[in-house]
Amino acid sequence: MAEPAIAAAHMSLGYAGRAVLRGLEFQVPTGSRVGILGPNGGGKTTLFRALTGEIEPLSGHLEVNATTATVAQTDRSRLDYPVSALDVATMGSLARLPWWKRPGRAERRRAREALAEVGLAELADSTFGDLSGGQRQRVLIARALTADAELLLMDEPFTGLDTTNEQRLEELIDSLAVKGRTVMIATHEVEQAERWDLVLCLNGEQISFGDPAVAISKPVLEATYGGHIVEIPGQPELGVLPAHHHHHDEGHEGAGQ
Amino acid sequence: MFEAFSLPFFQRGLAEILLLAIPCGLIGSWVVLRGLAFHSHAVGTATFPGLVLADGLGFAAALGAFGAAALFTLLTVAIARSRRTGADSVTALALAACLAGGVILASDVFNSGANVDTLLFGSLLAIGSGDLWLAAVVAGLAVVASFFVGQHWLARGFDEGASRALRSDSALFDAALLTVVAATVVATLSAVGALLVSTLIVVPAATARLFTARLSTLLTAATLLVAAEGVFGLWLSVQTNAPPGATIAVTSGAAFALALGARTISRRGMWRAAAVAAALLALAGFGAGCGSQSSGGDGPKVVATTTQVGDFVAEIGGDQVDLSTILKPNTDPHEYEPRPSDVQAVADADIIFRSGGHLDDWTEDLIKDSGSDAEVVDLSTHLPVRLFGEEEHDHEGEAHEDEGHEAGGEEFDPHWWQDPVNVRFAAARIESTLSDANPAASAYYQGRLRRFDNQIRNLTRQTKSCVRRVPAGDRKIVTDHDAFAYFTNRFGIETVGTVIPALTTEAQPSAGDLADLEATIRRENVKAIFPEESVSPALSEALAKDTGATTEYSLYGDTLGPAGSDGETWLGSMKSNVNAVVAGMSGGKVTCFGGQDG
Repeated sequence: MAEPAIAAAHMSLGYAGRAVLRGLEFQVPTGSRVGILGPNGGGKTTLFRALTGEIEPLSGHLEVNATTATVAQTDRSRLDYPVSALDVATMGSLARLPWWKRPGRAERRRAREALAEVGLAELADSTFGDLSGGQRQRVLIARALTADAELLLMDEPFTGLDTTNEQRLEELIDSLAVKGRTVMIATHEVEQAERWDLVLCLNGEQISFGDPAVAISKPVLEATYGGHIVEIPGQPELGVLPAHHHHHDEGHEGAGQ
Repeated sequence: MFEAFSLPFFQRGLAEILLLAIPCGLIGSWVVLRGLAFHSHAVGTATFPGLVLADGLGFAAALGAFGAAALFTLLTVAIARSRRTGADSVTALALAACLAGGVILASDVFNSGANVDTLLFGSLLAIGSGDLWLAAVVAGLAVVASFFVGQHWLARGFDEGASRALRSDSALFDAALLTVVAATVVATLSAVGALLVSTLIVVPAATARLFTARLSTLLTAATLLVAAEGVFGLWLSVQTNAPPGATIAVTSGAAFALALGARTISRRGMWRAAAVAAALLALAGFGAGCGSQSSGGDGPKVVATTTQVGDFVAEIGGDQVDLSTILKPNTDPHEYEPRPSDVQAVADADIIFRSGGHLDDWTEDLIKDSGSDAEVVDLSTHLPVRLFGEEEHDHEGEAHEDEGHEAGGEEFDPHWWQDPVNVRFAAARIESTLSDANPAASAYYQGRLRRFDNQIRNLTRQTKSCVRRVPAGDRKIVTDHDAFAYFTNRFGIETVGTVIPALTTEAQPSAGDLADLEATIRRENVKAIFPEESVSPALSEALAKDTGATTEYSLYGDTLGPAGSDGETWLGSMKSNVNAVVAGMSGGKVTCFGGQDG
């Protein structure tokens, strides 16, 4: 068995010596899809920062055996920048090039392939800001592919997408995993997380981790979301009250409209 | 219409602006993309104390400016990082601190005026080879940095969160950007000055960004736009005889407004209204021209720097000189910025008469930059009475204790023409210079000199007898400028302190100086305060209100008055000053000169 893409042991994370996320203890095999559940402010962004190496663990141990790329929510990228979809996808090559080297012909060809892989071959020369939200999301994934990222960290990529685009993105995530890339997706949709290989529930600490069938239970969700859980009548799934995350939207993650 | 392009000073200005187009266009684009517009403006202003230091301590201005810019950048970055305060408020704070520091250095430490001024405002008409070299080096730096680091500036600006994974988040990349911004600002100083750097760095790039959707087009368009606006502004300044820095600022502002308007119109289909507006603008632009002026006389082409020297040359030369006077009436010589017609006049001149001292020390640059080979006569060098500036006086009310004492190291007081005896010498020197240059008119010049000399002697005699009619104890005045030491020295009048305790109008008085002065005015029972014509009288009025002394009379100090006023000629200005001083000291009881006598 190959070594895991991520291994965290007794890890706590935080800023200026103050822990905001404790008790992290998990291993993610290469090529798995991992849903991350938790309220805004629950530590998802902090975990992503640790995985990219932006912050060091306060205690414990973290091993990341993969080149990492983040796919931010697209409204945070500058929509008015004078760049095309191809320009953005090409930026990914900076992760591989020496610092002084500009992306050249080979890098642009590679970026075009990545755009084709996410289904945007025809829109390569469109201005990034003119694309729809779902298309921009996929351009950012193409950028991660151009960067040869083996671990993709997606921060609520489904926010603001319509059903068609949501479905396309899920298919894309599936195909990335099939090709051996590890994908971690922060989401609020419990139902979605249940379809992926692993789930990590966070709320200031690790609530649970593992196969969704085992790791997601009513007590776990109550601990994750602080008790605002309803059982939707006639359906086996558990839902998070919509009012709940609107209430938390002023959190530092600044989720979109 | 385009003959200006053949003038050497214009060509150097052209070369400078074309070189600057490269760093301003490239780095300006990054400044706009990375939200550094306010920062770059602040860096421009922050060079002020550096320029004052360089001027005062005598090292290269560009070095002082870059040092100050670098220090400013480091401080704002460090504070913004450590305190997590909004970078904008830190920048604003540091900006104000730098301006204040510059003012204190300029007025209280170095007492420097004119030199700092030319640097603060800069001029494309006064470009030396050093400026060209600096612009070329910075242009190279901007190209190299954009080429090798630009991809990281773009990646980080586009998506800061992802920049770590793309290895674009290194502080070194940001440091490189801020360094090139500082270098670009410093190179731009000599063209448009510290206060207008954003017109070349920010405005064209912001304009280009309105209609570009790719980085490469933005970089190209911004560079071409700086070049076009700079060349057009420079040309327009020659046509309208306006200062080039301000003209370029207006040009680039107008281009931005037009581009914004055009974008709005093309989105809303308002083409007809746009056509009418464009036609009106074009008409307004072409109506705004006006020519340069000279006396149009025969004989040698003569340039005079100040209004007084211009008047002396006119008295002696009459219609046998072709005279251009650089300073205009009621313009503070310390705030002079060369205009295209001035450089042109200097370039064409046979003889240049300078007043000398710090009043017109910009003349040297003007002569050098115009490529003029004219004979330069500094009238201040051979005078019977030469006064020197006061030392830092701690004892209020005894400002005249060291008058006439010519200790080495003190600054020469350049207001020599306030003593009529000096003017007689200067007039004689002007006559002999003109006679040498144009022997055919020598008798004419000599005749006019005799006439002028008689007028001066009459003026002196009448003034002396008139001042004697004021009781000796009342012969005290307060004036807001140290320009009158020669005058009071000649006629036995005491100057009791000055509102502005320095030789230049640049310096600002401190609260302590003002309080001391008010106490002195009360103690010495001074009856009149004289604001100088070209200096804001607000300070003197505040003093008058507190002490009860009158401010209704004013004096001609650094400059003569406009055509038609009493002070149009030097003789007229002297009579007006004598009348004002005597009337002020005697409470209006004594007058010296009527309307017509002489």
